[in-house]
Amino acid sequence: MSTFQADLTNCDREPIQIPGKIQSHGFAVAVAQKTLIITAVSDHIGSWLPVDPDTLPGSPLSVLENLLTKHDDNLSVTQLLQLGLQRQSFDAINPHAITLAGASFYLICSLNKGTILLEFEPASLEYDIQGSVGRSASAMLGGKNLQALLHSAATEIKRIIGYDRVMIYKFLEDGHGEVIAEEKEAHLDSFYGLHYPASDIPKQARALYKLNLTRLIADVHSQDAALLANTEEPLDLTFAQLRAVSPIHIQYLKNMGVASSFSISLIAHDQLWGLVACHNYSPKYIDYKAREGAKLLGQILSSALEYRQEEEDADKVAAFKSSAAMLAAYLAKDKNLVDALTSHERTLVNCTEAHGAALLFENTVTLVGQTPAETEVLALAAWLKQNMGDSVYHTHQLPEIYRPASAFKEKAAGILSCLISRELSEMMIWFKPERISLVQWAGNPEKPAEPGPEGLMQLSPRKSFESWTQEVRNTSERWTQEEITAVLSLREIVIADINNKATAIRTLNEKLQAAYEELDTFSYTISHDLRTPITSIRTYAEMLLKTNFGLNESSRKMINRIVAGTEKMNFLIREVLNLSKVGRAEIVMTDVEMGPLIGEIAQEIKTAMKAADETIEVGATPPLRGDRTMLSQVFSNIIGNGVKYSSKNPAPRVKINGVVAGGETVYSIADNGIGIDVSYYDRVFELFKRMDNVADIDGTGVGLAIVKRIVERHQGRVWFESKLGTGTTFFVAFRNR
Amino acid sequence: MKAPDIFYVEDDPDYVFFMENAIQEIGDNLVLRVASDGQEAISSLKRLIDEKTVPKLILLDLNLPNISGLDILRFIREIPAMKTVPVLLFSTSDSPKDVRASIEFGANAYVTKPDGYEKLLQCIDSVQKFWFNHHLRVN
Repeated sequence: MSTFQADLTNCDREPIQIPGKIQSHGFAVAVAQKTLIITAVSDHIGSWLPVDPDTLPGSPLSVLENLLTKHDDNLSVTQLLQLGLQRQSFDAINPHAITLAGASFYLICSLNKGTILLEFEPASLEYDIQGSVGRSASAMLGGKNLQALLHSAATEIKRIIGYDRVMIYKFLEDGHGEVIAEEKEAHLDSFYGLHYPASDIPKQARALYKLNLTRLIADVHSQDAALLANTEEPLDLTFAQLRAVSPIHIQYLKNMGVASSFSISLIAHDQLWGLVACHNYSPKYIDYKAREGAKLLGQILSSALEYRQEEEDADKVAAFKSSAAMLAAYLAKDKNLVDALTSHERTLVNCTEAHGAALLFENTVTLVGQTPAETEVLALAAWLKQNMGDSVYHTHQLPEIYRPASAFKEKAAGILSCLISRELSEMMIWFKPERISLVQWAGNPEKPAEPGPEGLMQLSPRKSFESWTQEVRNTSERWTQEEITAVLSLREIVIADINNKATAIRTLNEKLQAAYEELDTFSYTISHDLRTPITSIRTYAEMLLKTNFGLNESSRKMINRIVAGTEKMNFLIREVLNLSKVGRAEIVMTDVEMGPLIGEIAQEIKTAMKAADETIEVGATPPLRGDRTMLSQVFSNIIGNGVKYSSKNPAPRVKINGVVAGGETVYSIADNGIGIDVSYYDRVFELFKRMDNVADIDGTGVGLAIVKRIVERHQGRVWFESKLGTGTTFFVAFRNR
Repeated sequence: MKAPDIFYVEDDPDYVFFMENAIQEIGDNLVLRVASDGQEAISSLKRLIDEKTVPKLILLDLNLPNISGLDILRFIREIPAMKTVPVLLFSTSDSPKDVRASIEFGANAYVTKPDGYEKLLQCIDSVQKFWFNHHLRVN
């Protein structure tokens, strides 16, 4: 007899497989395998056989056999056992029908650790088990989906064994269980949807459920029968049909108002998936064959579960995959990645079972479905960027890890995030809401502890099974492997798309670059090729003038106009050549002393433009970093313009000054000339564009285009301020680097 | 036969015409020999060497069909009899690349074709004055 006392600290270790007792609706005899000597017997054997139980332990099996043959001539227990031992299995023998005192009994044998246990229990012939099971199996499997399958299973099992309530109970990930299908007598309260804490079925009980697929507790109110043994070792009743029930469990059932309980284990993928738990509110006994029938239904249900669960998982995966494929198709069609992923009937949300998603891409946030506010998403993304080690991160308890999530857990207690680019903070985030914040517990899941006799806290099963509502906070549905796989595959699609588009842009850029270079080469060549015929024209014209003395005045004038025309054309060509040179020439960066350079330029311009009366004031001349020749072109063009366009002023003046400011050196070149109409601001730097007010001043419209090109090639800036009739100030800014 | 003073290779008939006029104007005693492409130039030069009538100055247009001015220059520089003859490259191009290549191939000078007759006259005059006087001094 066990002396184990279960309390709070050892509840999981209560040795329920060696209770030293059996349920009293049958009797049991244990026999040593080798000697066939009786080692234990249940103390109430006298109720069936005329024998003093105390005399049996130590006696040979033949003593029992003699007692039994008085009732049933055909029975030879010894032969039966030897047959079973030979076959190393009692499956073919169980149950062996016998008659005791005119009543039908089943003998069920089992072997465990060198001991054969013979259990005798009543046979009730009220069920046509085989027929029922066949019909029930087909009815059960008719269910189209998992839920329908479970429901019809409950119905069929209830029909076969006739219990008041049949529930299908599923173990969830953390070990607690939920009633997911129920068939019951109409007058009973439903337990459907109730959750039961994990401690309701302790670990060692679960282990037994895996070994014995059915378990009957016929009457919780009956007195157990003790086992009388002549061995030290307590009799292991792991495989016993009649094994007595833990007192805690008996109390648990009593508290629930249950008089009889029967359970069938549901095993999927070698794990205890759940139980078919049957309750009767009056004592109820079902015999071995009925139990085996129910067990068979349980096995059919188990294999169907495996299959259906896989099927439903596969359906989900297929749905995720088809969403990903749709998105890939949208991406191929749409220019815009954000539109492709968020604006169609299927969005990135559909790659998972999330309720919403956010796409952070190219500095914009796009929200789809149920999501936190944009500012909250941005803050979350910043946190994720810091804390995501891998490209994918998920949690179903975000508020526990990331405090600010408490504020939006109704929308996002669970997140699944997937980086597109860490550097650019681009990612996709999926959101699952806080799971039904309420769980209906069957009673308070905290088993109340009661002080034991020695003041220890002692476990007692909870008394109230009134449904007890607990708020489960900060938790969403879990993310499944399938969802994560789908998200990863979407990530591949998105990244491939981004790369493709980047390549397209790069190709375009290269083409543009090539076209630009081609244009430079073209303008260079064409200017060159134009030069030869123009030179010919001019030369002929000049020869005409030189050699034909008979020409009249008007002919000479015309020929002179030809010469002037070629002069102008040549000038234009030179300018275009200069511009194309700016594009083609390599930049040789040096630090250029600007003072002497500007001095030279000013002098040259004064001479070339015959502008002796022009005042050129040179202020500060900080050095510039750039290509000396090109810098010189910039300043001669701008200063040249200043001189040219101020020439009509009675006191023409150009002021040049440089300042160093914030990583740049900015030169200003201010004239007091005719000014530029700022409404043509953009046209000023365009090739061959000249303003309306300069018609009578020579120019080609190339100079400022050259300036702009050079400044751009130096990564600098050029701009101007102007007032018509007052003057223009040009600014050029170069980086100091 | 008298050795030509100037041997001019030019495919543009207009420029040949200008050159003929300009040279005549500078000095009507100057003998000009013209070849209109590389092939003709090389065979003419060979004949002149055979006849020991090597020209005093050679003007080469740079861009010629098939055999370019630079090819002719290389040919000239490989013949001992013409090693000392001054060769001027004469082209519309003012590209530094062309100038550098010509000097490297052994040209004595690179002259950009003048724009207009007046400038051409000035150009030929100074070329004639420099090279021929220089030539005379050397001899």
